[in-house]
Amino acid sequence: MKKIHIVSFIMLAAGIFLFISASKDTGTFHTFTQALKSESPIKISGQLSKDKEIYYNPEKDPNYFSFFMKDSEGIEKQVVLLNKKPQDFERSETIVLTGNMVDDKFMATDMLLKCPSKYKQEEIYVRSEVSL
Amino acid sequence: MNSLNYIGEHLWLGNVGHFLVLLAFISLLCAIWSYIKATNLNDQSWQKIGRYAYITHGVSLLAVIGLIFYAMLNQFYEYKYVWEHVSPDLDKRYMFSAFWEGQEGSFLLWMFWHIILGFFLIRKAKDWESPVMACLSGIQAFLASMIVGIYFTDTFRVGSSPFILVREFFDGPIFDNPEYVNLIEGQGLNELLQNYWMTIHPPTLFLGFASVSIPFCYAVAGLWTKRHTEWLKPVLPWTLFTACILGTGILMGSAWAYEALSFGGYWAWDPVENASLVPWILLIAGLHTVLVAKATGQAIKASYLFFILSFVLTIYSTYLTRSGILGDTSAHAFTEMGLEWQLILFIFTALGLTGFLFLKNLKSISVPKDEEATSSREFWMFIGSLVLLFSSILITYSTSLPVINKIAQIFNPEFDDMVINDPIEHYNKYQMWIAVFVGILSGTAQYLRYKEFNWASRMKKVASHIGGSILFAAVLTYLATQWINAVAWQYILLLFTALFGILSNIDYFINFSKSNAKAAGSVISHVGFGLMIVGIMASGLNKRYLSSNQFAQAELVNGLDLRKNITLLKDEPMFMNGYWVTYTADTIKKTIKEYEVTFVKKDDSTGEIVESFILNPNVQYDKKLTKVAAQNPSTKRYAFRDVFTVISGLPPEQIDVESAKEIADTLNWKRYDVKVGEVLDLEKSKIILEGITLNPANKEYQAEEDDMSAGVQMSLWPHKDITQKIDVLPMLAYRGQFLYRFPAQANPVNTRIMLADEFLQEVYQTDENLVYEDVVIKQNETAEFKGYKIHVVGIDKEASHPYYTKQEGDVPANILIKVQAPDGSVADLRPMFLLRNNQTNNLKDYSPELGLHARIMFLDPVNEAYHFSFALDNRADVTIPLMIAENVPRNDYIVLEAIEFPGINFFWLGTLMMMLGFGFSMFQRLKGN
Repeated sequence: MKKIHIVSFIMLAAGIFLFISASKDTGTFHTFTQALKSESPIKISGQLSKDKEIYYNPEKDPNYFSFFMKDSEGIEKQVVLLNKKPQDFERSETIVLTGNMVDDKFMATDMLLKCPSKYKQEEIYVRSEVSL
Repeated sequence: MNSLNYIGEHLWLGNVGHFLVLLAFISLLCAIWSYIKATNLNDQSWQKIGRYAYITHGVSLLAVIGLIFYAMLNQFYEYKYVWEHVSPDLDKRYMFSAFWEGQEGSFLLWMFWHIILGFFLIRKAKDWESPVMACLSGIQAFLASMIVGIYFTDTFRVGSSPFILVREFFDGPIFDNPEYVNLIEGQGLNELLQNYWMTIHPPTLFLGFASVSIPFCYAVAGLWTKRHTEWLKPVLPWTLFTACILGTGILMGSAWAYEALSFGGYWAWDPVENASLVPWILLIAGLHTVLVAKATGQAIKASYLFFILSFVLTIYSTYLTRSGILGDTSAHAFTEMGLEWQLILFIFTALGLTGFLFLKNLKSISVPKDEEATSSREFWMFIGSLVLLFSSILITYSTSLPVINKIAQIFNPEFDDMVINDPIEHYNKYQMWIAVFVGILSGTAQYLRYKEFNWASRMKKVASHIGGSILFAAVLTYLATQWINAVAWQYILLLFTALFGILSNIDYFINFSKSNAKAAGSVISHVGFGLMIVGIMASGLNKRYLSSNQFAQAELVNGLDLRKNITLLKDEPMFMNGYWVTYTADTIKKTIKEYEVTFVKKDDSTGEIVESFILNPNVQYDKKLTKVAAQNPSTKRYAFRDVFTVISGLPPEQIDVESAKEIADTLNWKRYDVKVGEVLDLEKSKIILEGITLNPANKEYQAEEDDMSAGVQMSLWPHKDITQKIDVLPMLAYRGQFLYRFPAQANPVNTRIMLADEFLQEVYQTDENLVYEDVVIKQNETAEFKGYKIHVVGIDKEASHPYYTKQEGDVPANILIKVQAPDGSVADLRPMFLLRNNQTNNLKDYSPELGLHARIMFLDPVNEAYHFSFALDNRADVTIPLMIAENVPRNDYIVLEAIEFPGINFFWLGTLMMMLGFGFSMFQRLKGN
């Protein structure tokens, strides 16, 4: 057996090891119910509750943003993100949060928004001086 | 569609375009067939046909591109592609950006580069032309199929034509109008993409993508013609070229992200970034195996595989970024094109054909009998390539999770989507080990020789140099940790290996290669890699949010301090991490609002200013000024650190009109009718009305001729702090028939003050409130009216007046008068006298500055006298109608994110050196030929 094969073999083994440990970095989307039981931070995906208060007052604290979100099971919880309010937040279709439950609030460390794409619901612009 | 006869469409363009696209496609098929024949039969005449076919293809496609540009420049909005990407207000310099903003345009850009590279190959590839061009034509055919736009059924189509009409794509009542073309206008280029990066980044990146095809084509040609060693020589400069261009393209993307986008960094392991990085890494792996193969005959198979993988993953990356499959995991918004199946077919065809070729010819690839020695350079270079392969497998696996999810759900619909919990940490964690190995190998392997046969005699020298480099690197690492806060041993190790890589390469260059120019390229690139790692570590580990105010109270999550933003009230300095930071000014230019933020650092003991600079982050509104479309950062650059700032928040009413309306609806306005000199006592403050100002200055209002504007100067004295005085000047302005309101806000007392619309009529009065008096003046004489000296200059027969339109038989005349007010200010007035149908009429003139109204009632030619009628505005006793709202949210602040990136220039320097190294080596190789 060639030395290069031995080295390749060792690297392959290391690779498989890395792969297995890398897959620990992945998880699935959870729910608020699961978040209550979890110790470590988890990911939750859900929809913004548009009828509930969206609070952000940078005059008082630019790093405190709170809103309500419904998860995939329809459970609604208050979410607190200690960061700025992202742009176009109200337009988001899906919100993906990373964080954990503290008391009855979900404290998010990271938030990702999915917004409707630019062309989907576009209507044809009509020049303003013409009425149809 | 219906059978209306539409007016104003330019259908010829689409027809010619469609024809040319088809011609381009068919000539490609012809080129493929001819070049295959030419390769298999080794026949010159077939090669000639292939050549002409490819040239026909190239010329037609260039014409297609020309037609699209023609349609875009002339704004033929009946074409969907033009309508989507161009708008009447779009600057001509963004026309290129608009062209490749869309899917079809970017495929055309990609093909454009294939054409250029193809023409080059036809001239230069010599005996490699036929097989290489056959392969390139095949690739090009798949790309061209993306834009042919042939519909087989209503839903099944091949490609998406750039010449499709708006009315063929959308349904709408507007298309019942035969003249709809005149009624529509385009949407234009996304505001985020309106910058120079969008002009230079895509063409470079796509030249990179197109160049990836060339080493792949040579690999295919090598396998096909069984010239397994001959292809190595021509492929080498092409590989270096591709590595340089693709790398530069990727870097431009990260420079764009750092300079113009607001996420604060140059690399985020976003799937779109990863997708273009992986082919590049594989190409670098291929580059190393080709060098090995050329020198020793080893690693030919690996070279084939690396180039095949590099190409296939380029197509795969196109699939990932354009199919919409990345969904939630990427911040990049790409629109779906509905042609995913074509890309999948492309991937499997490429894999299938090359896999078949590879397996079929596997046996004919000769392998040297002697195994490579562990003391040889090729041994460790090969290991290095495997490390790079590893890196790309890991990145591809993690990036492909959405694809894996999709596949798993085909078999098991219940399968839950897998996602990476913390992507950036995940990638960094594994890729840092790759960098550790690259650092070690790039240093060590340089000292070794190919096919080492006399290791015993060299061992001592090599070992002493490696040892010296280790020692030196260890000392440097220690010094560097005084600057870079490497918190874990893994980071210290990474820093050490990077420094070792740098030092050993320099040592090798000076002491082993005798500063040979041939070795310079590789040394420059390897040193660049080390510097890049140092830069990544310095800017990543020592990245510091300046904008965290340690006095602000906030809840902590998992002990992490996540406060990244700070609110700055206008003109109120805030202290943050050593700097006094003040938001001092803002200006509006078109759709961009630029802020001025000053940073001042003072010496603690002496109070002297030791550092000060101004940054100008801005926000960009959409073209209708309805909402903020983008925030553009501003960065202060020092040699060893950057201070990066971006506006991360604004008062809601400045973010979009909806929020502004919402706030306006909640305000509780109260009306006060007051006079100058009066004092109003309100809940939060006393207001003193100081005086009326004509033509006042206002940041948002620029006076034009014939405007009529007035404001009220007032001061507010807060109850909370009676020594504070806040000056405000709300105003109104008439321009033509439009009234513009400029309310004033006294933020410290949360009070907004607006003048009611009738205020202007109080200042600039209308005739019904005026008392006219008659005055008779002779030509060239001066009379006095209530202290105003009025001098008659004469008649101007070239009569004009804003309210006068000439009719047949009119006899009009302007009487020119010069007026001097008691305060010395002067004005020229020209009231008009008009004889129409034997009736006398007059049109008045008015000087808003002087408040004087002048009419000419009668001309007395016998005595050369003019009968005027004058009136004065009553400005001494104007009633000021005020609207005041208290408890108004402040509107004089910005939310700022400020980050310090130490050593980021090492990253840029290092990456640039890597690219420079590739370029340099390429020229060395070409010179050698």
